[in-house]
Amino acid sequence: MTSVTVDKAGPTRARPKYGSMKRDRAWALRWSYFFLAIFAFFFLIPPIYMFITSLKTSAEISAAKNPWWVFNPTLSNYVELLTSPAYIGFFKNSAIVSVSVVIITMLIAIPAAFALSRMRFWGSATLATGVFLTYLIPETLLFLPLFKMFAVFHEYTGIQLLNRWWVLLVVYPTLTVPFCTWIMIGYFASIPKELDEAAIIDGASWLQTLTRVFVPVALPGIIAATIFAFTVSWAQFLYPIAFTTSIDQLVLPVGIITTLIKGDVFNWGQIMTGALLGAAPPLIIYAFLMDYYIAGLTAGATKG
Amino acid sequence: MADATATVVTPAKRAKPAPRSRLRKFFEKKSTIAFFMALPLILLIFTLVIYPAFYAIYLTTLNKRMTATAWMKNCTYLPDWICTNIPFGNLQFLLTRETFWMVFWQSCLFAISAVIFKALIGFVVSHFVHNVPTKGQRKWRGMLLVPWVIPAAMSTLAWQWLFDPSYSAFNWILAQFDVERVSWTGVAHWARFSVILVNVWIGAPFFMIMYLAALKSVPDQLYEAAEIDGANWWQRIWYVTLPMMRNIIAITALFSTIVTFANFDIVRILTAGGPLDKTHLFATWSFRLGIEGGDIPLGATVSLFMVPILAVAAAFILRDVTRRGNEA
Amino acid sequence: MAKKRITRRQFVAGAMASTAVLGMPYVSSAQSAGKLSVGLWDHWVPGANDASKKVIDAWAAKNKVEVTVDYIPSQGNKNLLTIAAEAQAKAGHDIMAMPTWWPHAQSDLLEPVNDIMAEMIKKLGNVNGTSEYLGKLGDKWLAVPATIGSQLKGPCSRIDLMKQHAGIDIQALYPAGAPPKADSWNFDTFLKAAEACHKGGKPFGIGLGETSDSVDTAGAFMQSFGAALVDAKGNVTVKSDAVRQWLEYSVKLAKFFPADAPAWDDASNNKWLVAGNGALIMNPPSAWAVAKRDAPQIAEQCWTHGFPAGAKGRFAPFLPYFWSIWSFGKNKSAAKQLLVALSEPDAIASFVAASGGYDIPNFDKMTTLPTWANEGPPKGTLYHYPNPHNHQQLSITAAPAPPKIAQQIYVQATPTKMITRHLQGEPMEKTLAWAESEVEGFLR
Repeated sequence: MTSVTVDKAGPTRARPKYGSMKRDRAWALRWSYFFLAIFAFFFLIPPIYMFITSLKTSAEISAAKNPWWVFNPTLSNYVELLTSPAYIGFFKNSAIVSVSVVIITMLIAIPAAFALSRMRFWGSATLATGVFLTYLIPETLLFLPLFKMFAVFHEYTGIQLLNRWWVLLVVYPTLTVPFCTWIMIGYFASIPKELDEAAIIDGASWLQTLTRVFVPVALPGIIAATIFAFTVSWAQFLYPIAFTTSIDQLVLPVGIITTLIKGDVFNWGQIMTGALLGAAPPLIIYAFLMDYYIAGLTAGATKG
Repeated sequence: MADATATVVTPAKRAKPAPRSRLRKFFEKKSTIAFFMALPLILLIFTLVIYPAFYAIYLTTLNKRMTATAWMKNCTYLPDWICTNIPFGNLQFLLTRETFWMVFWQSCLFAISAVIFKALIGFVVSHFVHNVPTKGQRKWRGMLLVPWVIPAAMSTLAWQWLFDPSYSAFNWILAQFDVERVSWTGVAHWARFSVILVNVWIGAPFFMIMYLAALKSVPDQLYEAAEIDGANWWQRIWYVTLPMMRNIIAITALFSTIVTFANFDIVRILTAGGPLDKTHLFATWSFRLGIEGGDIPLGATVSLFMVPILAVAAAFILRDVTRRGNEA
Repeated sequence: MAKKRITRRQFVAGAMASTAVLGMPYVSSAQSAGKLSVGLWDHWVPGANDASKKVIDAWAAKNKVEVTVDYIPSQGNKNLLTIAAEAQAKAGHDIMAMPTWWPHAQSDLLEPVNDIMAEMIKKLGNVNGTSEYLGKLGDKWLAVPATIGSQLKGPCSRIDLMKQHAGIDIQALYPAGAPPKADSWNFDTFLKAAEACHKGGKPFGIGLGETSDSVDTAGAFMQSFGAALVDAKGNVTVKSDAVRQWLEYSVKLAKFFPADAPAWDDASNNKWLVAGNGALIMNPPSAWAVAKRDAPQIAEQCWTHGFPAGAKGRFAPFLPYFWSIWSFGKNKSAAKQLLVALSEPDAIASFVAASGGYDIPNFDKMTTLPTWANEGPPKGTLYHYPNPHNHQQLSITAAPAPPKIAQQIYVQATPTKMITRHLQGEPMEKTLAWAESEVEGFLR
């Protein structure tokens, strides 16, 4: 399993005995940089434009001068948003929801993936494949029935889910768990069986095997799943717009779209600022955990 | 992946020679433990996906005011006593609508072309990233992942702003070169192009990162062997890379096809289906009919129609995947 | 725009002010006259929500009701989503603000409000025809026409550009503080002006998209031709001469619209005006208000006025909001009282003032408030906005069709789609046949 994290020899470390090959590779490298730069440019246009717009006043935006240049840069959009209790509230809700969803997802997906990759029970093979098929049922179909279910649930138990941010903790896992389980089934399958077999022989229970022996080894796979779950729950749009209404219950994407756009009046400077700031947490997470992510996927994805 | 167990059973049995009560035995059986470990997953899927899906199917059988069942009527190839007892009147109605077939076609066009481009770009870019020395890879990967990381609803807003009829920043650039301004979301073919472009932009990095992971898991020796055998660049990709990446290509494509086909937010924010419904997808059209038009059963029927289509796609792709898995 | 919940502390503060409960600590809701949750339209004008909050607070304190107010934006049709979901779940707010068609769409689930409407009509004057068409089912008032959010989408012209390109002095036709002298402001003049401004590089910013601004404009023209896709009895009347005349005129006119008019949404015309691209848009004064903030020199040249007249009269698109009470609400009597409080003349005046004149009361006697006369610059620009001289008939697209059918025509934007199709070269009869099949689908 260690082999997957070790990077292959880079082209610069090519064996010297093939001289022409070395030259070829140097050229390949140059072309790679060239095309990477083009693609990176294409991928980064919108964020760059968001950044440019976020530095403009609404008067400058309306003036329709060169849209790619900032004539009177201002931080007022940032200041306004970061001092607005509503926006801070969206941020907080998004953070709480995403972190909790990640935890819930892991609590469900890790044991399930372990069971499905290491043990067998009636229907386990079907489940391992079928878990992916839950994505076949679209959110647009589910949100009205779910709304009704939550209303009935409230009637019987007195626990209100509708228009509360915690309703998202209930519905988001349906979007994160299947993919995470699937990634981890793959990753777990790549871990040598001798590891947990030894633990079992030593008298450890299955649960102990999972938590003490297995999880530490499977960490890259788990982190990959974590990052996926976080990205997905941070970006959700339809479920939060359907299930939450009050300003203090909204998460970031919905909050920005419903409060910074007022009827037919778009506050572009602030919208772009809000979107950029909203993209920061997942960006930071990716920046730090990217290597694990790749390593986790490397094993998990191919063994699926 | 579930074949890892057979050998473990024996030592586990040997470890508990003393007779125990049947209940206790049942709970200590490995399959029981495994079942309980997977139980939260099963419960989640059943209560929050399967059950509401059936409720949604029930919704689709109601009439517009949701007071009675929408029976089918006037079937051409069924006797009346059968026809008028099938509760799919909404579906029957939909199939006669011109717009429905247009939306059907558009959804397929959108999903297929977007997934193909995402896969192609992802494949190409992952190779370039893989070519770059390890220590330089990080910043490239970081930059290239940005579209996937920004919540789609927000980056779509940025695109909307870039495409804006009055303020389009792209048109400003075109104007500098005296090129006629493009009506990015105003003309059917440009609007479709724009919607697909945004979807590719958002989704391609996910393919890139998945493929990159797959590339890294291809053992070096295989390439070395191929190189020594005199395989050229193209042959190496065709005979080494692609077969090794087959599973991941299939699964990523499947996941992306599903998500793209059922996409809601990009189209909803960018064009809301216009002009002339030429960019509607199933999800946005279902929203138009059900929520905005106040005909919830009809909207639900449109959404439900996605399920069999996706199921067919999934069956094809997954069949391929399991077959490969067994060979390996 | 934080959520306005009356917290216990605020409540006590309010209670202290009203002497009745002075000194009595607010312990629990058991002692109050119950709870009430209200979903109002989230106003785009900064501070406008505070006006409704103030009225509700005062009422809540006086009646010892614990009120929760949510301001629900119409952006992304969030409000429609909430209405649909609450109707499905039969749970949610007690009072819900619903735009245009929704009282009819949810008529089975709404508490009739005939009793309070009778009082209001006595006090505030008659309700305009459009609000009655949308708010009343038979003899049953489904909801109270709301001041907040109700808007009129007449033309807003650039004084300078209209003079320069079309030779029209719009202020002379619609003088501030006086009845309009706009007999010459008819469809011919309008078409010529559109052509002249198009030639001058400042086209009229009228959209042909699928959102309400575009659809409303197309519908008002349609009504001025006496045309309708479906008549009041529910018969399809697509292939009538009136519809043909309307379509022919609309396409002539649409040739002078911006090229990407079919892609326009409700924000596009605002941006068009604020960017200084055109001489006229059809919009409530939100566009002018944004111009006032971002491009003051353009705002000073804006004049809101009446619609041009067609052969069958002068119609202006009206988009009313309603306050309705869910029949599954838990506190219907309190809800009714609150609606009465929200419809007091003082309350209405405060909403109009707080919205900078954007909101239009649906009652006859309330259309001459000082706010419209005083707003500026230029002063009096909004004087004719609320139709103070009954110069034009307020209308909504697809009326007089039965509302449940009309809603489909409106939501599916059939009128603007017809114009776009014909404009893009489809023969008239083919367009009509398409529209007929669409409308037949809506009848089911």
